[in-house]
Amino acid sequence: MDFYLGLLQIIGVHTLLGLSAYVVLLTGQVSMAQAGFYAIGAYVAAMCTAMFGFHILPAILVAGLVTAFVACIVGFPALRVKGLMLVVATLAFGEMVRMFFFNFTWRIERGGELVGPNGAEGFRAIRFFPENGWETGDVTVFIWCVVAVIMAVLWWVDNSRAGAVLRAVGHDETAAQSIGLNLTAIKVGAMTAGGMIAGMGGGIYAHTVTHIEHLVFGVLLATFAIAYPILGGLGSVFGTVIAVVFIQGFLVEGLRFMGEWRSILFGALIVLAMNFRPTGLLGERMPRLFKPRPSESKLEPKGAE
Amino acid sequence: MDYFFFIDLIQSTVDGLLFGTTYALIGIGFTLIFGVMRKLNLAYGAAALAGTYIGLVMFLTFDAHPAIVFLASAIGSGLIGLVVYLCCFRFTPENYPMASLLASVGMLLFIDEVVIHASHGLPYPYPSVFRDAIIEIGDVWVRGDLLFVFFMCVVAMGILFWLLYRTPLGLATRAVSQQPRAAQLCGIDVTRVNMMTFGIAGVLGGIAGAMTAAAVGVLSPVIAMGLTVKGLIVVVIGGLGFIPGAIIAGLLVGAAENIFLLLRGVTERDIYVMLLLFIFLTLRPGGLFGNAQSRD
Amino acid sequence: MRLKPLLTASALALAAAPAVAQDKTINIAGFGASSGVVGIFGQNSGAAMAAAVEKINAEGGVTLADGSKAMLVTQYYDDRCNAEEGISVLRRIASTDAVVAVGPTCSNVAEPLFGILQASVDDSGDTGLQFPVFTDVAIKGGLAGISEWVFRNTPSEATMYDELFAWIRETHPDAKTIYGGVEEDFAHSRFTWYSVMKTAAEKHGFEIVGEAQWLLNDTNFSNQARGMRRAEPDVVAISAHPFTTCGMLREMARQKIEPKVLVGLTSSSSLETLTGCANEAEGIIIPTSFAPVNDAAKAAAEAVGAKGGALDLHSASAWENIMILRDVIEASGIEGTPESLEEDRRKIRDGLAALTEVNGLLGTNKRMPDGEAVKPYVFVNAASGNWAVLHNPGS
Repeated sequence: MDFYLGLLQIIGVHTLLGLSAYVVLLTGQVSMAQAGFYAIGAYVAAMCTAMFGFHILPAILVAGLVTAFVACIVGFPALRVKGLMLVVATLAFGEMVRMFFFNFTWRIERGGELVGPNGAEGFRAIRFFPENGWETGDVTVFIWCVVAVIMAVLWWVDNSRAGAVLRAVGHDETAAQSIGLNLTAIKVGAMTAGGMIAGMGGGIYAHTVTHIEHLVFGVLLATFAIAYPILGGLGSVFGTVIAVVFIQGFLVEGLRFMGEWRSILFGALIVLAMNFRPTGLLGERMPRLFKPRPSESKLEPKGAE
Repeated sequence: MDYFFFIDLIQSTVDGLLFGTTYALIGIGFTLIFGVMRKLNLAYGAAALAGTYIGLVMFLTFDAHPAIVFLASAIGSGLIGLVVYLCCFRFTPENYPMASLLASVGMLLFIDEVVIHASHGLPYPYPSVFRDAIIEIGDVWVRGDLLFVFFMCVVAMGILFWLLYRTPLGLATRAVSQQPRAAQLCGIDVTRVNMMTFGIAGVLGGIAGAMTAAAVGVLSPVIAMGLTVKGLIVVVIGGLGFIPGAIIAGLLVGAAENIFLLLRGVTERDIYVMLLLFIFLTLRPGGLFGNAQSRD
Repeated sequence: MRLKPLLTASALALAAAPAVAQDKTINIAGFGASSGVVGIFGQNSGAAMAAAVEKINAEGGVTLADGSKAMLVTQYYDDRCNAEEGISVLRRIASTDAVVAVGPTCSNVAEPLFGILQASVDDSGDTGLQFPVFTDVAIKGGLAGISEWVFRNTPSEATMYDELFAWIRETHPDAKTIYGGVEEDFAHSRFTWYSVMKTAAEKHGFEIVGEAQWLLNDTNFSNQARGMRRAEPDVVAISAHPFTTCGMLREMARQKIEPKVLVGLTSSSSLETLTGCANEAEGIIIPTSFAPVNDAAKAAAEAVGAKGGALDLHSASAWENIMILRDVIEASGIEGTPESLEEDRRKIRDGLAALTEVNGLLGTNKRMPDGEAVKPYVFVNAASGNWAVLHNPGS
């Protein structure tokens, strides 16, 4: 049972990573910086609990806010580059964040030991959960509560005018601008929201593994972050969840019996998926099943004046 | 600034410029593909690596002459490039670039794992030419093998330019990169041009991979990621779709990397390379020459 | 109807059934990186464990608390050198009937993994996992101290390098200066240069004349080698993994740097270095906790070879772990039933904690109170494409 709960933890944390990229992808920006935001969230939340004795909830929120702030700052120069140049720029930013933590050392004494990030050796002893009586099941419930809240917020945004605005910018910036949408506000806003979600995800991640180091937050993680929403489909938040379950649940754990061939099959399946369902598993438009029922139409039929 | 520091600076710059030609080749490869298809092929570095391994097989089984090994690496990468095109770019939708992007990521993971599986992750020695030759100019030592790398890359660029500006295929490629619709209307088979471009870019990548392995002397799967990231940086600094830009940017990044290493040490070196990228992005988003080609 | 014979036959069959069901098994799981760039480590460990288990089973298996015999079974799980996956794998193992796990391969999996285990036994406020882990390969210094459920059978680099530099001081009295080369972004190699090699060298009177740093994926070592050449050191110590070690050695050869003594990192005393650069690595001295120097070691090497693996200092630990566990199982009175699973795991942990000395392939391994080991070692050097024993302190 512990194993399945642990697997759900991994799926939950990766869903947050995927959702952070999803929000930014909606506006047409492919951001490889999400792993960098994830890293910032991880270190900040870990510092809060391990060094300053915060409870996990304020720690995650602080991590989210700090990361959102950084993401906002990144959002502005990101406006100047479009399309695939943005991919490279955000990739470079992610690497810079990783290099920063590679060099970052700050340890304080707590309970007779030095605690804190130690440069290349990483940040160990992030043990808020075990030390405060949280069982595996408790952590899983906590993670999925956070995921559920964020998914609900994104779902609500998707079905409101804000969602249409985001997608409008994503589909055609010139047209969006011509109907009066403020591109800067929307794109930076999306980047900030994505940063906040990634920061919270990273903060939780740090506590599920108890030790983080710079090598974890590299280009591969950034690639997974955008892979989840693209593979799942940008139609709705459920696409990202399904993609995470598919990759972490089925490909990583379910195919364990294949031994060495598991990793080879992984890449091959992604290539196949993109050739046969290029808009993702759940597609580009919100699936019929998840469409909210249209409310009573307030429009009168044309002829009835 | 004492004498040794000055010598070190010159030495770092020279080494960096010579090695930077490999980055330039990878940059040209990315830029070529972007030029004709307006898409990014993230599997490029891995394809170059895999081709280099094919050359390695020639070396290990037949103890082939280095020239044959390099040729095999180049041709191998070219063929793998064609496979990448067929799997990731041929059938994915034109108007949904994310599909081909993710497909190329999947291909990157696939090729990487196949290479690791085949080589058991062990590093293998790779033949290099003029390994121990050194030209001494005063206190500055110019490495013979890096000169060879430089020379090979220049030859490759020369052949590329001949191909692009003196052959019908090159004409077709330039036509497609400027105006794909019009080119099609003129009867140019866009699919064929795309395929050939991937093949040519693959060959360039193979040469870059072979030269990198020859310079280090050892081939290992870990060099694929580094090649990819550096190549992307070069392409952005040089301007997407602009070949001379990629060449100059490659040399620039190679030299800058070594100079930062000298000045700030290895832990901060890459931070400064990224900062260089950001400075270019902020001040000259169109690339080194402010080329209009980089319009998205 | 011939009911009576039928009834008799059924009764006899039923009476015989419990006797067949007496075959108990004790499950020792293995886990680590058996695919990917470092996959060869996990593959070797898996083969070593399979060979050791086969040997024990051929000799009758292990004796349980009630005097009956049980066969050992083992299975190897792949964590791909990924921290999250390693934690997931251990949780999976804990949900089976395994009583102990041998692993992991990578230090970057070990550190997070040990953190999710219960830190101190009987600390009811700590909800960490309660499952004993006996590490074979992950070697970064000091990790066993993270949890009392962790025991490691990895060589103590501190001890080995201390002795190595003492020996170099003795055998090369004219060597005075040392230059270090270190892979900065990998925790193990970094720790070993700064906290182990450097300290040991200074302690034995060597003067550190410089340090060269590079990263895991670097391909250009000219700057670093140039600094080394200027310093003209007598001894060069390289704390890096085979790819960059080979790259650096080649650059040193090119720049004609010829130190009197060349020292390498423990984990580079494997096939990888020789495959990559046997020529340039000629003469490099590495302390290692395994070489086939006695009959037991040679026999073990053959048995592991038959299972498709190679016995080197890493997989030899896995072999030794199985042998040590057999003794612990027999001494602790393991019951081996599904009901006694938790107790059995606790007994194994306590049994491992109580050990002060165990038999290893090269001699007696000391077991320290913090769960680490101090193992006998030899110094090997690369000679003509093979690792040859240069100095055996035990003989």
